[in-house]
Amino acid sequence: MGRVHRHAVRLTRRFMSASPLGRLTGLLPLIGLILAWQAAVMAQIYPPVLLPAPVRVANAFVLYGGDIVHNTLASLSRVVIGIGLAFVVGVPMGLLIGRFAWLDRLFDWSIQTFRSVPPISLIPMAMLFFGIGDTPAIVLIFLAGLWPLLLNTIFGVRTIERTLLKVAAAAGAGEALILRDIVWPAALPSIFTGLRLAVGGGWLTVVTAEMIAVKSGLGYMILNAQMTFRPELIFAGIIVIGAIGLLADFAVQRLRRIACSWQEGLTVQGR
Amino acid sequence: MSAAFIECLDVGKIYEGRTGSVEALRGVSLACAEGEFVCLLGLSGCGKSTLLQMIGGLEEPSSGQIVVAGRELSGPSPATAIVFQDHGLFPWMTVAQNVAFNMKARGVGAKQRRERAAEMLALTGLSSFATRYPHELSGGMRQRVGIARALTTKPRALLMDEPFGALDAQTRARLQHELLEIWAAQRTTVLFVTHSIDEAVFLADRILVFTPRPGQLAADVTVDLPRPRTPRSPGFAALAAKLRGLLGTEEGSE
Repeated sequence: MGRVHRHAVRLTRRFMSASPLGRLTGLLPLIGLILAWQAAVMAQIYPPVLLPAPVRVANAFVLYGGDIVHNTLASLSRVVIGIGLAFVVGVPMGLLIGRFAWLDRLFDWSIQTFRSVPPISLIPMAMLFFGIGDTPAIVLIFLAGLWPLLLNTIFGVRTIERTLLKVAAAAGAGEALILRDIVWPAALPSIFTGLRLAVGGGWLTVVTAEMIAVKSGLGYMILNAQMTFRPELIFAGIIVIGAIGLLADFAVQRLRRIACSWQEGLTVQGR
Repeated sequence: MSAAFIECLDVGKIYEGRTGSVEALRGVSLACAEGEFVCLLGLSGCGKSTLLQMIGGLEEPSSGQIVVAGRELSGPSPATAIVFQDHGLFPWMTVAQNVAFNMKARGVGAKQRRERAAEMLALTGLSSFATRYPHELSGGMRQRVGIARALTTKPRALLMDEPFGALDAQTRARLQHELLEIWAAQRTTVLFVTHSIDEAVFLADRILVFTPRPGQLAADVTVDLPRPRTPRSPGFAALAAKLRGLLGTEEGSE
């Protein structure tokens, strides 16, 4: 009974804050943009060979469908691997650095130095070391994701309520239990903030890296479309990049809501 | 008094800060027998909480010595358990998981943990809230969870740091009654920090009065009134007045 009731309350709340109508208002600016685009085409501000009509771009999705899917999957898999590695490395490191002051003293300056280097500026070096292909791209995405994940994890650990650590100390809890049952869950909301930034940064980086260091992926596809003079494919590529960026962000948010369900009703963000 | 369960010998605490050192506690000696209910009474900032944290093994005294269950302290003793004012519940754990945490920390097996947690939840009237999260509970219920968690490891002494300080008067009174019942049933020693004179007189066998800056033990008052006590019990008001005098006259202590 209690559970059914709570479920009902939760559903109601979700409906009110994210009712379909309320959500769809987010599409209005995008629709406006497409209309302005169409108007620009009809006014012939640019010759049609440079600025294709929306219909032609839509048609490009049919015409080059196989290409687009193939390159999208190539880009996606690189981001998933690169960010996955950044997560596996950055989060445990962040938990430890946040937990132990001496590790923080040891690494703080290095972290602050390296995180200021834009991953894109490392493309030439990555190509020298790893050649052309998946490896340099993945390394760059890894670096793009590592710093936000690391820094947000450290920050999350720092926000743990003091009393909770006292409870653990008084109970004689071992370090492994403290990290697993207290530090990790306490930092999880911040880790998701880091993941959100990492996924965004990784997606930006993959497209850029593919324009230079790889021969597949959406970045490569766009550049290639320019060289073979297919502007409608350039536009299609840009739309796919934007749409996937949006969907990836949705996915991370969704995941956060599931993993941090205990936060529901506790913070404004938790709703 | 020779077989004191908790004993402090000339305990002092000095905090070194950036702006110089602050003496929180000076020359405190006390002894507490097993099964006794002792209140540490003082105005805020008199170091009574600091003393409790030191007895709990969470902080080290700058001078002197603390003995719990016959052993000089170096870190938290398995014979004690602490109840914190802000309850210290893990927001990502259910009530049952919170209650089981201290046992998990000590490596108690999962099955035994579950049984003992259920037992303590029943004792504190929380059985139907086992699967809830702390933020879904009222302040009084949260503190019940804190007490249930402390009791799971069968501590010989319960160290309570102003556990009811943040509660409204009615909830507070109810929890005081419940605590006395639990104490009577479990026969644990209780060391209870409070700044409320009425609370101390209502609960304690013995009241240790602290004066502030630096915290020093000013008086050791035995409470001879029969339980259950109420503010209208004969002797209650007289004792409260005496304690008010001992505390010094800051109005803040209710």
